[in-house]
Amino acid sequence: MATVEERVKAVTAQVLKIDSDQIKLEDNFTADLGAESVQSIELVAMFEEEFGIEMDEDAALSVETVGTAVDFIAKVCKEQGVDV
Amino acid sequence: MNKAKKRHPLVDAKKPNLLEDTYPYSLPPLIRFEGPVVENIDGKAVEFDFGAVKDRNILISDTTFRDGQQARPPYTIDQMVHIYDLLSRLSGPNGVIRQTEFFLYTKNDRETLDKCRSLGHKYPECTGWIRAIKGDFRLVKEAGLKETGMLTSCSDYHIFQKLKFRSRAECMDSYCEVVEAAFEAGVRPRCHLEDLTRADIDGFVLPFVERLMEMSSQVPEELTAKIRLCDTMGFGISYPGAELPRSIPKLIYKLNQECGVPSDRLEWHGHNDFHKVHTNGGTAWLYGCDVVNTTLFGFGERTGNPPLESAIFEYIALKGGLCEIDTMVITELADYMRSIGLPIPDNYPFVGRSFNTTRAGIHADGLRRDEQIYNIFDTEKLLARPPRVAITDKSGTDGVVHWINEFFGLKGEERINKIKIHKIARWVIDQYDEHGRLTAISDQELEAKVKELMPDYWAKYKAS
Repeated sequence: MATVEERVKAVTAQVLKIDSDQIKLEDNFTADLGAESVQSIELVAMFEEEFGIEMDEDAALSVETVGTAVDFIAKVCKEQGVDV
Repeated sequence: MNKAKKRHPLVDAKKPNLLEDTYPYSLPPLIRFEGPVVENIDGKAVEFDFGAVKDRNILISDTTFRDGQQARPPYTIDQMVHIYDLLSRLSGPNGVIRQTEFFLYTKNDRETLDKCRSLGHKYPECTGWIRAIKGDFRLVKEAGLKETGMLTSCSDYHIFQKLKFRSRAECMDSYCEVVEAAFEAGVRPRCHLEDLTRADIDGFVLPFVERLMEMSSQVPEELTAKIRLCDTMGFGISYPGAELPRSIPKLIYKLNQECGVPSDRLEWHGHNDFHKVHTNGGTAWLYGCDVVNTTLFGFGERTGNPPLESAIFEYIALKGGLCEIDTMVITELADYMRSIGLPIPDNYPFVGRSFNTTRAGIHADGLRRDEQIYNIFDTEKLLARPPRVAITDKSGTDGVVHWINEFFGLKGEERINKIKIHKIARWVIDQYDEHGRLTAISDQELEAKVKELMPDYWAKYKAS
């Protein structure tokens, strides 16, 4: 089964239309990967769908890097009893 | 850079101070004063207490059917009767809109007046409008009106250039003859000092008004002459220190304090040629003129008159309460006027289709968090018009989510967050980025997209 990191990178690649191999944990979604406002919303929505979780809007949108997203999603999955 | 003369240390706070004494939200922002205002008049410092307006019997009068009709094709009789009925409801039991005036010259004019009076409303009282010609009093008497306005033009532009009098004395005698005829007929004259802000105040206006006051001292109180201060060309100035004849403070002071015209017999009639019309009306109230003459939505000769609906909100702001005025009727009046072909610009305050609609994403974000951030007052409660967001490429996801929450009527915890509307937000962005759209997205288009892309929400909130 793919790890949280792999799944986050796969969703990010799909939404932002980039190669997942080029995505690094320290990449900033906006500055490095070029996410625009609506894409940030789409990323959060796709993460929710991928992991079957619900995230707090303000907290989720304040996540800036891929690595932070991995940690944040893992934490939410744990809180909501979702195995990853 | 100027040297700082006073230090202003930060007053730190952990809770916001929303200044609710001034911005109660349930009312338009209140107008509060501190201390007297000083105006230099004839070399003397004269104090005015604006705060006293709260206890004064200030009023609004209306000329929608007279000056208002000079700016458009005539209304039908039924239209005027319906507007009059709505004005009465707006006015409330205290008669804040105290009077409205009617032409009396045609059969239709007189039939309209009769039909309006047959509704039995106490307010607005119906008054007439005639030229300063003795023969016209026959019309006033036949109509059974207690009061009529009459043109008593007072600038030399009118006295000499238009009316062709040979002297000011001849002009004044002529006007006074008509006033005398009004007294004899038992009709109260309201002398309209046309073109006052271009008149010789000391040389003609004050002597004429003094003579009117002397004549009035000979008749019962209910017949005494009223004075309408007509800023016919919109030249009036509200700024302290402005010179006569343009100074509104000085004009009112001279008529009120020097000629002895009581405040309740003074009425300001403005025009909007220099975009000063509403403030000039408010200024007249503050300096001692009890009545401001207005038209619905400011429609009037050329650039128009003080908008009645703005005067209503100014009144509430000065009084600090609704005073039983039914402000919701303003929206009803606007809808009715639009339905009979009166154009109201979308950005027109209080009633334009977009008066409280934001297009900027950052403003939409503010509205989403707390509508008070970008709404002037509780426009839903006072005008049945909640704040809205118009969707364009500048609206952002905040604009879209605000629109959707308003569309579904969701409040508080029920409100949908941005994450749930990402498909709609994407569709909006693609309209502009992918399809090169240049126009705003209509409510109908968005509604169709919400139905298509958010079927669960549609089923929950709309499919019933």
